[in-house]
Amino acid sequence: MTEEKRTYEYIPENYEQEILMKKKGSKEKERSNEMQDININSLMDILTIMLVFLLKSYATDPINIVPGPDLDLAKSSSLLTPAATVSITVSKSAIVVDNQPVLVVKDGKVEASQKRGGEDSYFIIPLSKALVEAAEKKRRLEAVNPTVKFDGVCTIVMDKETPYRLLTEVMYTAGQAEFSNYKFAAISTVG
Amino acid sequence: MARKKRASTIMEEINMRPAMNLILILIPLLLTSMESAKIAVINVATPQIGPSSVATPPTDTPEDKPLKLTVALTDRGITVFAREQVIENKDDPLGPTILKKDGEEEDASGKKVNAKVYDLEKLVEIIQDIKDANPAEENIIITAEPNIKFKYIMEIMDATRETKVGEKLKKLFPNVVLSAGIA
Repeated sequence: MTEEKRTYEYIPENYEQEILMKKKGSKEKERSNEMQDININSLMDILTIMLVFLLKSYATDPINIVPGPDLDLAKSSSLLTPAATVSITVSKSAIVVDNQPVLVVKDGKVEASQKRGGEDSYFIIPLSKALVEAAEKKRRLEAVNPTVKFDGVCTIVMDKETPYRLLTEVMYTAGQAEFSNYKFAAISTVG
Repeated sequence: MARKKRASTIMEEINMRPAMNLILILIPLLLTSMESAKIAVINVATPQIGPSSVATPPTDTPEDKPLKLTVALTDRGITVFAREQVIENKDDPLGPTILKKDGEEEDASGKKVNAKVYDLEKLVEIIQDIKDANPAEENIIITAEPNIKFKYIMEIMDATRETKVGEKLKKLFPNVVLSAGIA
């Protein structure tokens, strides 16, 4: 039986050489096996757990706020948590709606040319445009998906040094774009 | 013996390197994008313009007027209005209800410096008295001069939302309405 089998086996011409090569290869393999002996299983366990934890905490944040030198949030003892709404971020240098930069802020003021009616006006034109678009988007979503509801709420993320005048301008403009309820984001001092 | 060793080497041959690479890239990425601080929000509304749903007949007695508790921030201090009347400061009838006091505050770089700060304790005292007289009322109107910084508005909102009485938290005026600035 074994003899028969052997007859069917393919024997290459450089058989001996190949065997030599194989031997050499297995030696190398053995050496690399010794190298791999460091047990990384526990490390893998830790990393996998961390990865799952981070992914989970990443997914549950409805709004993404990245504080920096330009955006220093005020502190608050409020216990309310953020919700998934349209967000208006007012930093020291810009106003951003839903992560899209809208206009430049300088020294806590918006340039008069960006407002309807000049310096004393409360209506910021580019911000209004962006907010109307955002509201429309939500309405379209509402028409298709009954679980989404447009309730006129927006989250205002504001640098703590922003003057009250700019805040009222932003709120007035948002009000014109059908956003009449606001959530002010702050760093929680509780817990 | 030799066979056992070979089997274990086969077991170890699962190549973990790509998975490790992926995880090691993903973890710093997620860690940097993760916010370091917990975010809280405060619900705020704007004044509703339009006819009120309940017609209120004009009355002469001040007790029948709606409370309309208003806190106005100025450079000099805090002025409190209730029933459309200023709550006067006995020492300074023409000035704000609560003058700023000497204290410490953080400057732009986060250092503590001596400065005039809003007297929140006194404000809480006055607000608490008003709450005791009007337990059903929950609305407060906050307004400020145009140059008042946002952090002070937040401080006022925090101070007027609730206060600690002993160990318990006492609700004061949690419904904030921000009104247009005072000129």
